[in-house]
Amino acid sequence: MTTQELATQLQERFDAEQGEPDGLASPGWLSVTVCSDRLLDAIRWLWEDAGYRFLISAGSDLRRERGKYLVTNLFAQDEHGIYLAVHTEVDPEQPSIPSITPIVPAANWTERELRDMIGVVPEGHPDPRRLVLADDWPEDLYPLRWDVEHGIKPPPSDCQVPREPPPEGSSVVPLGPYFPSLEEPAYFRLFVEGEEVVGADYRGFYNHRGIEKMGCSVLTYNQIPFIAERICGICGCVHSTAYCQAVERAAGIEIPERAKYIRTIMLELERMQSHLLWLGIAGHIVGFDTVLMQTWRMREPIMWLSEKLSGNRRVYGGNIIGGVRLDIPTEVHQDVLDMLDKLETEWKALYKSIPGDTSLMARLRGTGVLPHELAVERCVVGPTARGSGVAIDTRLDHPYAAYDRLEFEKCVHDGCDNLSRTLVRLDETLVSIGLIRQALQQMPDGPILTQIDEDIPGGFEGFSGVEAPRGEVVHWVLTGDENRPTRWRPRAPTYANLQVVPPMLKGSQLADAPINIASFDPCFSCTDRMEVVDMRTDDEYD
Amino acid sequence: MLLSKLRQALICLLAGKVTLSYPAKPRPPEEGFRGYPEVDVNKCIGCGACAAVCPARLIKIEDVDQTTRRMTRLLERCVFCGRCAEVCPEDAITMSKQFELTSDQARQDLTHVCEVFMATCKRCGRCYEPATPLDRIMEPGFRHDQIDRGGDRCPYPELRAPDSESPSTDEHDEHDEHLDEPVSAQVAQVVEAK
Repeated sequence: MTTQELATQLQERFDAEQGEPDGLASPGWLSVTVCSDRLLDAIRWLWEDAGYRFLISAGSDLRRERGKYLVTNLFAQDEHGIYLAVHTEVDPEQPSIPSITPIVPAANWTERELRDMIGVVPEGHPDPRRLVLADDWPEDLYPLRWDVEHGIKPPPSDCQVPREPPPEGSSVVPLGPYFPSLEEPAYFRLFVEGEEVVGADYRGFYNHRGIEKMGCSVLTYNQIPFIAERICGICGCVHSTAYCQAVERAAGIEIPERAKYIRTIMLELERMQSHLLWLGIAGHIVGFDTVLMQTWRMREPIMWLSEKLSGNRRVYGGNIIGGVRLDIPTEVHQDVLDMLDKLETEWKALYKSIPGDTSLMARLRGTGVLPHELAVERCVVGPTARGSGVAIDTRLDHPYAAYDRLEFEKCVHDGCDNLSRTLVRLDETLVSIGLIRQALQQMPDGPILTQIDEDIPGGFEGFSGVEAPRGEVVHWVLTGDENRPTRWRPRAPTYANLQVVPPMLKGSQLADAPINIASFDPCFSCTDRMEVVDMRTDDEYD
Repeated sequence: MLLSKLRQALICLLAGKVTLSYPAKPRPPEEGFRGYPEVDVNKCIGCGACAAVCPARLIKIEDVDQTTRRMTRLLERCVFCGRCAEVCPEDAITMSKQFELTSDQARQDLTHVCEVFMATCKRCGRCYEPATPLDRIMEPGFRHDQIDRGGDRCPYPELRAPDSESPSTDEHDEHDEHLDEPVSAQVAQVVEAK
């Protein structure tokens, strides 16, 4: 199905108006507006019949521009390579919208976030509790409304988010809020009966940094990539790439070929170091520190190389709108290839030594089971999804940068357990090595940056998905005046993956909880770009 | 199991000792590393391009009087992106290799202040940066001996008094507060005389 056919279908079925006039100019991207009466029908059709995967929703305060709030639900159809934005305008006099969570369970967090940040109430949402805002944030103060200033510190209120009571006969084991399995804050309350976990309550969003508010109020277009890169400490380049691609799409900027290849190489370098880092941490959590020592040793040359290529070990700072700032000159190609050869040899040796290790297998095989159906229903992404046999990979489904010119395959395992997720990452590292070799070979000469002479026009939207090491990162941008976006909505992969942890932990052993959580490679700080969460067991949706 | 353990032992043995003896031995970073941004105050012309692009918004610009622009850098917030060095028209900023910046008094140790002489608009009395290097040499503030040659390409047209009129009295009152500074006093006298 092409975007044109989809637009016609949505028009016929749900009176959907096609969004911006040049929305169809870029293949694989469609933006439509549906009135709130028909929203649920449209979502039900997309979700149940047309095979669309839910990504995220975004609320925008457009009272200045259009006199409305705008609620945007973003979907992806991976078979046809289509990203779809379904907009609904909301009257500021009656700020409410029918909740789509009963149909699409994966929309749970994002709809609660909508209520907290913009003040648009999802009617019929199963969880009325506050999600994103801190406990002591005052009621009726919605941070992402344009008339709420950036940087305010309101006096604390005594609003308390209720905790979920444990089920009858079970006890609570707290995991966190400091450093549960990873060195980041998140608070799991595990409900246990003996050694068995019977439920869990999640509270996170302790790392609120107000990045979205900054992007829409004080930063400019070209400052945001550097802040976006700091959403995550491990996979930041994906955020700046996704943001730049979204703005480039909105403004119709074509970037030079060479810049696309450089972005690809930096993204793959990042994926390799992230997977190696994860494997080390996983080894540490299951009590096998040799894995930690050796994988981090193997990772170090990648960091040195990154420093040589970009001027920094981790946060490359290479992306700006219109291309990249950092060239990869021919002189360093040999350094990159040498590093890749050495890593490949060592990685293969490591790969061989893992399956025979019975103690490692005992911790990984059959634990942390995430059934295929649950993975599909909750729209998990990345290695978490691919470890449960869900064959989605943004690099192939919705090609960006130079990935459409490189040859590689999706790494999918269908064991649905911690071992499968580990194997996916082991495979992907080898794929990344191959991708960098191909990209270096094919990289054309030429400029690396498109000069942008005109201002980026306001009122256009852009969207981009990028396959991060942890899954699909999506950034949606609505351009504005004053040289900054009206709304910028990033979503980290852990935002999708973390929502599935409580139902997944159900029925597992308490001792496996840390590795089960870590097997998602959760990145709490990325998810917490905003604030506070409670997560219930999956009972609430049924 | 045994074979697997032997393979793991081999990986460890082949690796050998890899730990660097840092910080006992210094380890210089790679070429092109972006460390502490060093500012050559003699080259800085106070144009403010760095402040406009800085993602961390750590460069504060204030015109303390008619001829002095103070640029305060709170480098404890620096993210070392190097955008300031990239856009600086005078190449006054270089990203050094210095990365050992930990301090228990970061605010004190990592704040960098530079004051730049600027031209003064003879109509509105505010600082501005003249258009070309030649103009800069010609403007007061850049050379003390030419202090009496006021500029008229003021970048703040909304503040500019109409051509036929002299600056409004309000502005004079405001400027008078800064007369304790010797250079500004000099300029103010020149403006008065005209």
